Amino acid sequence: MLPPSPRPAGWPALLLGTLLLAGALLCGLRLAAILPPEQWWQALTQPVPGDMTQVVFRHAVLPRMAMALLCGAALALSGVILQRVLRNPIASPLTLGISPGAQLALGAAMLWAPTLLAASREAVALAGATTAMALVAALSWKRGLAPAAVVLAGLVVGLTASALSAALILMKGEYLLSLLLWGAGSLAQAGWEPVLALAPRLALAAAAAFLLRRPLLLLGLEDTSARSLGLSLALGRAAALGVAVWLAAVVVAEVGVIGFVGIGAPALARLAGVRGMGRLMAWSAGFGAALLLLADGLVQLGQGLRGDLLPTGAATAVLGAPILLWLLPRLRAGSPAVMAGITASRRLARPWLFLALLLAAMPVLTWFGLALGRGPEGWSLALGVDWLGMLPWRAPRLAAAMAAGAMLAASGTVLQRLTGNPMAGPEVLGLGAGAGFGLALLLLLVPAPGRPAQLLAVAAGAGLALGLLLLAARRGGLAPERLLLAGVSLAAFFQALVAAFQASGDPRAVPLLGWLAGSTARLGPEDATIAVGLALLLLPPVFLAGRWLALLPLGDGVAVGLGLRPGLARLGLVLPAAMLAGAATLVVGPLSFVGLMAPHLARWLGLRTPRQHLAGAVLLGALVMGAADVLGRGLAFPFQLPAGLVAALLGGPYLMALLARRGQVA
Amino acid sequence: MRATAGRRGLLLGAAGLAARPARAAAPRVAAIDWGLAETLLGLGVAPVAAAELHGYAHWVREPAMPAGVVDLGLRGEPNLELLHRAAPELILATPQFAPFLPRLERVAPVASFATYVPGGDPLVRSQDIARAIGRLVGREAAAAALLGKAEAAFEAGARRLSGMAGRPWLTASFVDARHLRAYGRTSLFGATLARLGLINAWTEPTNAWGFATVALERLAAVPEAQLLLIEPVRSEVEADLGRSPLWQALPAVRAGRVARLGPCWAFGGLPSAMRFAGLLPHE
Repeated sequence: MLPPSPRPAGWPALLLGTLLLAGALLCGLRLAAILPPEQWWQALTQPVPGDMTQVVFRHAVLPRMAMALLCGAALALSGVILQRVLRNPIASPLTLGISPGAQLALGAAMLWAPTLLAASREAVALAGATTAMALVAALSWKRGLAPAAVVLAGLVVGLTASALSAALILMKGEYLLSLLLWGAGSLAQAGWEPVLALAPRLALAAAAAFLLRRPLLLLGLEDTSARSLGLSLALGRAAALGVAVWLAAVVVAEVGVIGFVGIGAPALARLAGVRGMGRLMAWSAGFGAALLLLADGLVQLGQGLRGDLLPTGAATAVLGAPILLWLLPRLRAGSPAVMAGITASRRLARPWLFLALLLAAMPVLTWFGLALGRGPEGWSLALGVDWLGMLPWRAPRLAAAMAAGAMLAASGTVLQRLTGNPMAGPEVLGLGAGAGFGLALLLLLVPAPGRPAQLLAVAAGAGLALGLLLLAARRGGLAPERLLLAGVSLAAFFQALVAAFQASGDPRAVPLLGWLAGSTARLGPEDATIAVGLALLLLPPVFLAGRWLALLPLGDGVAVGLGLRPGLARLGLVLPAAMLAGAATLVVGPLSFVGLMAPHLARWLGLRTPRQHLAGAVLLGALVMGAADVLGRGLAFPFQLPAGLVAALLGGPYLMALLARRGQVA
Repeated sequence: MRATAGRRGLLLGAAGLAARPARAAAPRVAAIDWGLAETLLGLGVAPVAAAELHGYAHWVREPAMPAGVVDLGLRGEPNLELLHRAAPELILATPQFAPFLPRLERVAPVASFATYVPGGDPLVRSQDIARAIGRLVGREAAAAALLGKAEAAFEAGARRLSGMAGRPWLTASFVDARHLRAYGRTSLFGATLARLGLINAWTEPTNAWGFATVALERLAAVPEAQLLLIEPVRSEVEADLGRSPLWQALPAVRAGRVARLGPCWAFGGLPSAMRFAGLLPHE
């Protein structure tokens, strides 16, 4: 939460008034461009039959403005409730996986239950949103819905839902054009019906929120204090979460995913000095409405009356970025209980012998992975000459995938040990999303760019994300939780931009989709050489830093006592971790979960010291990503599933199970 | 012709295939892109392998893909092992497959053709590409015949539709009930309309593929247009449109000037253009 800062009493009104005035001005300009002001009243009261300008004025432009106000208010209200219930200033429908869940449900219904969709889009979206929120809550329930636990559960659920949506789009893209568009949130309207559907729902939710304002206030306190005040925490939480999820689902059903209003509006309200739960909710809704009206006005101004559609959801991401960057250094670190270290369930008697055996098994497993394939006759093992014949097709992609898996695993191990957070990982740091942004920009600007240019763009994007991350986290001295929260926000920001590009339906976005899904099929011997070379270059320094990894989690005092400069050591670990993640992302895309999963597997097997942990994770990461590549070749034959996607679909449920289990232990 | 050749591969392949005696056994050609596959079929050559055959049957329709063609899976990620097993002598691809080019070239020489380039006329390019593929696979005569057939189809279409020449046509496919893709001059549909002597109502900027994703209200800017909706229109979109005052108020809708076409592949080649011309309603 933000620290309270004294502001003059008139501040909120002044700020809101300014925003609304700017939004109204843009709206007025837009309206005047369509219809002369002297005809406005007539168009509303006595429209001339058949006058299309008046129809557009009345049934497209005005409802769009109303929609912007309503959606902005709804998302802000949803955000402020989520933030309060979860005691987490960056909780929002997007970061908690609620909007991706709703989107996935809509996509699945489009393919398999079109009648359901025609009957009620809201019900379908609500089912998806509720499932996502219920999953997030279930996964972090036992840990008291602690901020970091919730955000990470939300991330896992959201990324898994996005991975499933990406799989649907890859397989059935032509049927799912609207799914891409919804992902970017367009506010265009073709009548008042959606507005009239949203308005009473918002009113109802606002009333419910008003009634819940006292429980919500208490939920902002620590659990123990709230409980001592006699509040039924579970009930209050469930009710408040229900309201927030419903609001988010209705917005997704009507216009799609719009990010940042849910974070930005409450932040603005707090910044303006609004205090008290009821007031905070009311002012946040107001700020949300004003923000989205302004953003949509800017979108339409930029777009003019010509050219391709520019979705509003993407624009809010751009406008929201400065707010986020301002907000990040001001996040309060979580309670230490949340950041409990990794506890291994067992200890191996002879860890190095185990690692040696695992290493020895690698060639056998690799041989098997190369031999296993699926043709029209089914699965088969290619032996002898056949094995050699398949080598040019199977070896490069497998080698690249395994190298990427190893790098992700090393990166994840470093981040998890460094932050003491079992859910840290390169996926969480927003590097993949940054890389995706770089690639999207290149594909937009350069027709049919070659591989070297694509590699450069991806590297530059990942570097940009890392720079932003370090900048945002600088004030916190790379405090673990702040780093994670910064990464999650960055990921959401870049994802919104990439979604906007995809939404245009531009076929140039197709290679982007392939990369986002982690396609390895395009990789040749050169790519494999680069990937393996990067792994060989970047992995050894991390092993050398094993001592830092052992000392830093003991606390800065101990580390200093042993002659370590904690800040420098952290940077010395975060940088290689980021480079490893970036290099792996070049190969398998941003969506794999291997960086989260492999360190866990290694821990679970009982590898405890930093170097053992690293070595085990690296081998397991290579194995998991390699297995994903082999499975991806055959699972949906003749369709090939991208390795990153397969790994994510394997890893998502694993991580969810892990989160739930850890919850019971903790 | 501006066939961006697959570097060293194309020259070899062109020489290799063109050296065959005419009327030799069908050349073994793989076509990953649907537009190139349909063009190849239009030349009377069945590809040995093509991608997403189920989708082809649904979205492209004509010419029908014969049985026995190997399905390579996704267009965005063709199954290279299967492609290799199909043993093509030539692979037809588009610049969109640039990331795959080195891999494809390992299988066989690659000829890469761009039907859609910013500002280009896809119909003219489709004709050039049909001729170029005809040369590559030793079917020049078939290519000339396909071009002749297309000309005849366009002439017949122009005659059949001459009564509609004064009215602008707006070709579109719905994304959802609030958004559609409008096809402009540099789309296959737009270029075909022009070839038939018809006016394209969509004159605003489009992307490299000749379409723009726009909000429904933009249709109000072309009140006199005849609407051509490319099927399929999803059932929930139909339901939403039925309740949309904006849609109901559009002059074309009020006057019943809305026709359904297709499905017809918007990113195809010459056969898709012929199919589109044949599907156009003449009253």
